Amino acid sequence: MNSNLTDPAFWSRFQFGFTVIYHYLFPQLTMGLVWFLVYWKWRALRTGDDKYNKAVRFWAKIFGLNFAVGVVTGIPMEFQFGTNWAGFSRYAGSVVGQTLAMEGMFAFFMESAFIGALIWGEKRLGPRYHFLAAIGVALGSWLSGFFIIVTNAFMQHPVGYRVEADGLLGIASFSAYLFNPWAWVQFAHNQMAALVTGAFVVTAIGAFYVLRRLHPAQAQIYLQAGALTALVASVLVAIPTGDWQAKMVAHHQPVTLAAMEGKFVGGSRAGVAMIGQPNVAARRLDNPIEFPGALSFLAYGTFEGYVHGLDEFPPNAWPDNIELLYYSFHLMITLGTIFILLMAYANFQNWRKRLTSDTWLLWVLMLAFPFPYIANTLGWMTAELGRQPWLLYGIFRTSAGYSKVVSSGDTIFTLIGFIGLYFVLGLLFLFLVGREIVLGPDEEAAVDSRARVLAAQVKE
Amino acid sequence: MIPTWYAIVSLMLILYVAFDGRNFGAGMLHPFVARTPEERRQVVAAIGPLWSWHEVWLVGFGGTLVAVFPRLIATAFAGYYLALFLILWCLILRGVSIEVGGHINDRLWQGFWDFVFIFSSFLLAVLFGAAAGNVARGVPLDANGDFSMAFFTNFNVRGNVGLLDWYTLSVAIFAVVLLAAHGAIYLMLKTEGAVHDRSASYARYLWVAAVPLFVAISLESWLVRPAVPAHALSNPLSWLGLLLVVASAIALISGLSTRHEMRAFLGSNFLVAGLLVIGSVAIFPVMLYSTLAPQNSLTAYAVASNHRSLLLASFWWPVGFALATTYYIFISRRYAGKVRLKRENQGSY
Repeated sequence: MNSNLTDPAFWSRFQFGFTVIYHYLFPQLTMGLVWFLVYWKWRALRTGDDKYNKAVRFWAKIFGLNFAVGVVTGIPMEFQFGTNWAGFSRYAGSVVGQTLAMEGMFAFFMESAFIGALIWGEKRLGPRYHFLAAIGVALGSWLSGFFIIVTNAFMQHPVGYRVEADGLLGIASFSAYLFNPWAWVQFAHNQMAALVTGAFVVTAIGAFYVLRRLHPAQAQIYLQAGALTALVASVLVAIPTGDWQAKMVAHHQPVTLAAMEGKFVGGSRAGVAMIGQPNVAARRLDNPIEFPGALSFLAYGTFEGYVHGLDEFPPNAWPDNIELLYYSFHLMITLGTIFILLMAYANFQNWRKRLTSDTWLLWVLMLAFPFPYIANTLGWMTAELGRQPWLLYGIFRTSAGYSKVVSSGDTIFTLIGFIGLYFVLGLLFLFLVGREIVLGPDEEAAVDSRARVLAAQVKE
Repeated sequence: MIPTWYAIVSLMLILYVAFDGRNFGAGMLHPFVARTPEERRQVVAAIGPLWSWHEVWLVGFGGTLVAVFPRLIATAFAGYYLALFLILWCLILRGVSIEVGGHINDRLWQGFWDFVFIFSSFLLAVLFGAAAGNVARGVPLDANGDFSMAFFTNFNVRGNVGLLDWYTLSVAIFAVVLLAAHGAIYLMLKTEGAVHDRSASYARYLWVAAVPLFVAISLESWLVRPAVPAHALSNPLSWLGLLLVVASAIALISGLSTRHEMRAFLGSNFLVAGLLVIGSVAIFPVMLYSTLAPQNSLTAYAVASNHRSLLLASFWWPVGFALATTYYIFISRRYAGKVRLKRENQGSY
């Protein structure tokens, strides 16, 4: 990242990065969790067993809090295209605006129509329509992710555009734009990663209740559904979707791959660094411990594959924060590997009927839930830092895209505002979610405490 | 093609104002029409289940502007930088206050979030009103087609203007009264008991108060930008808008006096919509008027996307619109009628 703090583009990038990372903490959970709600709602319809309805009621409350924070923190993202990235909007709005608008028209209307009904409307809607509401929210949230990823994929790998007579971008082929291969690979990778977050959170709460010896029947459902989904999704994040994604980067953004791996010099039989610190000034990786040949194999399917080094590209085409990019990528891979191992063991214990009695494992599962959030964030940092110094890879630089009329003073002011507001919002969110978890899925207890207060208020 | 898209984005904005405007109104009236904690929950429950659907009209409007008028977005959003972020923060506070207020049944907790709800709703009405005033008055566009505007300069309406001046402030006051009146009608429709009765009586006073304010800002507009009212008078579409306003006003008055609440509510919606129709017809094709030099003004033709992009959007937009309407009809039928607090736990909203 440009370290010149007087550069307005730096502050616009910082603000966008901060607000988008914060925003995406919430949708990644809702996009993963929503399928649990659909599944339990469906089980309740099929079996008539009320424990599934109980699970839905409990998780719908947590879902609702996440959804609300996701909605309110999402609107600033769209607005920043105009406020902070006017150059970009002017140049590429005809293209990227299509999917931004479609997200609103197709995804948000669907989600927002059904969300209230899903959370509070069980009685108003009846079981069948309530199930339908869950499906509406699920489809809406994944559709929203899809349109955003098509937009991002255009920035990573622009296709289907042409330069119009006025020098600005226009659509040449909408199907090429929508069926950008990058978009589908990234969507698959990202949605599996969101499922990992959702599944880890469900598992963690199950483990928490088992360890506290509370709500045993509910805890059992959460643990089993959570651990199985977490394993499947963690594997799918790596193979095949992560693998596809890496090959895509190797093919279309070779300089990014070199930076992600800290490859300052190209060569065949390129290794993957397990440990090592990029030293950009000296153009080498310090203290490297490498898996020989692994990178060649991952990127090109053969150990002899030639991996380009940063030395083969002009420095003004290098990602501008190689160190952060390198660490983001490596930590993401490390975490992903740990997820697979942990969840494989958890499912093994479940198969041996020891999942609920293995205290050590339960402690780890309970405490593991923040890590998928970190891994998801690191994945997006890898994608976005790796795209630099371009806004539209290879055709439009980040330095050309920011709003020239907005001063650093304005951006720093709004950035401070966001930091303050989001800090308070975070505290509020943690307090409310924590409270729902402590109240637990046992409605009698929870409803009792609510009803008592309401009765007291009515008396007044 | 370009006039059609101008009409479509105007329609989206009008729908946003009609739908979410009543929520701002309900928010502002909250402290006056609801006095006990339970009455306050009634107000929140009345707007609860669909507030985010209403807000999506603003998001959809923004996204569609990027696609069809990218140069407008680039100029206007960067130019209105601080004002837009104030709106965003208020929208965040408003949404959070609706969602979390019901989570804990505690006097202090709900009192706090009720306050946040009232405050953010009021500020949103002021800011959107001032924004409308800015569109009518113009902004200091320079020869490059850029502007960067302060909150206030010298409170005058010509030259290097700021967001707030005597004209935009008076439009903001009108917006507050208009939306409060609109919200009062909605609360009257959706609630029963004391909240209903108070809302009905506020609705009458507020609608009566809106009339002289409307006359005042119309006269002011004549002074600020004489070409606009003249242009409106010569355009048959604005006469159609006026007809809509008059018909809605009749429906509103008869609905109020005969207690046909749905009729009054529809009248209120179409009245708000009719006023905005007149406004958007009057300024067309200028989307951003320059207070520095009229030749710097940006028209819809100058800021629109190329023909191909507009054509493409005209294929998917009607589909999205039809779907959005379908979901809305489905859900709002489930929530038809007065809010029922205790029976269905709607007070949690």
